[in-house]
Amino acid sequence: MTQPPRPDPIPATTPLLELRDVSKHYPVRRGLLRREAGAVRAVDGVSLHVDPGETLAVVGESGCGKSTTARLALRLVPASGGSIRFDGQDVTDARGPALRRLRREMQVVFQDPFASLNPRMSVAEILAEPLLVHGVGDAGARRERVRDLLRLVDLAPYHAERFPHEFSGGQRQRIGIARALALSPRLIVCDEPVSALDVSIQAQIVNLLKDLQRELGLAFLFISHGLAVVRHVADRVAVMYLGQVVETAPKAALYGDPRHPYTQALLAAAPEPDPARRLARTPLAGDVPSPLDPPGGCRFHTRCPATQAHCRSEAPALRPRAAGSGHAVACHFAESIPAFTRFRDPRPRPPRLQARLALYEARRAAPTP
Amino acid sequence: MGVMTLAGPPPALAPAAAPVLAVRDLVTTFETPNGTIRPVDGVSLAVAPGRTLGIVGESGCGKSMLSLSLMGLVPPPGRVAGGSVRLEGRELVGLPARALRAVRGNRVAMIFQEPMTSLNPVHTVGGQIVEAIRAHRRVPARRLRAEAVEALRQVRIPAPERRFDEYPHQLSGGMRQRVMIAMALACRPALLIADEPTTALDVTIQAQILDLLRDLQAETGMAIVLITHDLGVVAQVADEVAVMYAGRIVEHAPVGAIFDDPQHPYTIGLLGSMPRMEEDVARLVAIGGTVPPPFRLPPGCRFAPRCPFGDAACRERDPALAAVADGHAAACRKAPVEAHP
Repeated sequence: MTQPPRPDPIPATTPLLELRDVSKHYPVRRGLLRREAGAVRAVDGVSLHVDPGETLAVVGESGCGKSTTARLALRLVPASGGSIRFDGQDVTDARGPALRRLRREMQVVFQDPFASLNPRMSVAEILAEPLLVHGVGDAGARRERVRDLLRLVDLAPYHAERFPHEFSGGQRQRIGIARALALSPRLIVCDEPVSALDVSIQAQIVNLLKDLQRELGLAFLFISHGLAVVRHVADRVAVMYLGQVVETAPKAALYGDPRHPYTQALLAAAPEPDPARRLARTPLAGDVPSPLDPPGGCRFHTRCPATQAHCRSEAPALRPRAAGSGHAVACHFAESIPAFTRFRDPRPRPPRLQARLALYEARRAAPTP
Repeated sequence: MGVMTLAGPPPALAPAAAPVLAVRDLVTTFETPNGTIRPVDGVSLAVAPGRTLGIVGESGCGKSMLSLSLMGLVPPPGRVAGGSVRLEGRELVGLPARALRAVRGNRVAMIFQEPMTSLNPVHTVGGQIVEAIRAHRRVPARRLRAEAVEALRQVRIPAPERRFDEYPHQLSGGMRQRVMIAMALACRPALLIADEPTTALDVTIQAQILDLLRDLQAETGMAIVLITHDLGVVAQVADEVAVMYAGRIVEHAPVGAIFDDPQHPYTIGLLGSMPRMEEDVARLVAIGGTVPPPFRLPPGCRFAPRCPFGDAACRERDPALAAVADGHAAACRKAPVEAHP
């Protein structure tokens, strides 16, 4: 049984991207005759929206459907149900010229910058390709645009003639971002864009994405499993579990007052870089059940520390908490579960680290002789 | 402050109990068309029984090659070219392959990031654990199954009797890592080397595995060398931390001091790079540039080209790992940075 469409907290203006009750079911075939034996419900009734210029982060663990959600939004895979709107237009079944227009408006940055760059093409060719495909400008204009793009992502003009293998992981991700910017899209879907990078390089790329957003007014649909990175980039967050959104909220509410037991567990499980705050116990036992055969009732009930009989029989709807709060939770007991407040208040860094970081930044800003 | 050059592990860190593992000036080299490279270049460290040493660094810092060097598993044409690795007092460098194999798995075991590549897909989980037990311990054949089931139970695998007959692909990533740990512990090693054991796992599963390692350490008293890129993981489980950069340890301290009183600019930069869960930071402190490739190491301090505090002298002279506080050593002429404007 599918659930009734669950309203994403109502957006104030026309969202740039809107998914309404979107599903993606992959049939599973078995036996000699390849009979359909069931379906993997990778995404099952997801509603979300991204406003112009904002970042919506979708977080969750592997198999939660966050990457499939990204692909659905990009129209890289067809939806099994629900509708997708871009700038108010229904694009669920867009094809031909309409789909080409959509592709110009909505671009993607992938996790692995090496796998997503053609090793036989120079950076200049990689960056000019989207322009060529969409017939933008002449050769001179395209060269000019390539120069601009390299500058935008802090690469040097001479990098244009080089090939992907000559770059480090962080630089390759800059090339991937430059390519996504080539057609001046309004929305970029970032699918785990920093997960494959070292922490110091992650910081460079995260800073770059934030700078670009401010400079160009971009909107991001940011797919990630890292809650700390999400806190840093997102305006709003949607938490997914087994193909469904279990909680969505503006960033401050999600980290300060998460009301779904799964969100609380995710936050509690993140290893904090603070030896004074070690986890006493594992916050969550067991594994994620198979999306081929998700548990009945609330899908989280098999792992939830607050499960009651009701949870096993009835699936909770994504219910708004207070009008206008933008905070919605899919839990029968959202109001009564204990609060999780560990990340509610800013905790200062240790004083010596803080002082040295300030020095570090001051020195970085003023180049040494 | 008296600055003292260290030849071996920082003396103040010398553990009360005799160390399980004592490494001194370890050098691993590779002959390449670009010349000889040294992915591990003069590393010294020690771990006591029941303690966990976290080795942190980014890709290319040499941390994984260090762990292979400790195990005597450096792939050719690489080789351990110098220094000493003592396990429970016994020198491993220069030991013949056969003798080394007996040590490996008996007194020291290793787990890796991706358990699927270390498990044999065509054998049952139980069969592989039985093999590990037989290779290292004399157990009567009729007791093998029971011992293997017990090993699965020890790593908190539910329904171990049933899991015994399953194949690796039937297990989740977290369960596979538990099986790897069960195999590694089958021989009751004195030292477990864990190379990014939770990197491929989801965060809730990672918490379970870290928890498990902590419990097993408390039960068995084994020492752990935990290799990771994640300062969060280190903060959760390590007693001491060594920060590696370009083949060397640049800072070594008790875990509290690494986070409260980081001395090396690289450590400071790494801590600043991490986004925080409890507050919004306008901009992360990024470390400029990238780790230099081992065949193009800069002269002087290897971090100097990326270091905001580096000066001409840093780019000329190689700093030694020197004590900056009790049990705390850093390889930086400018440490602490506020005292060296």
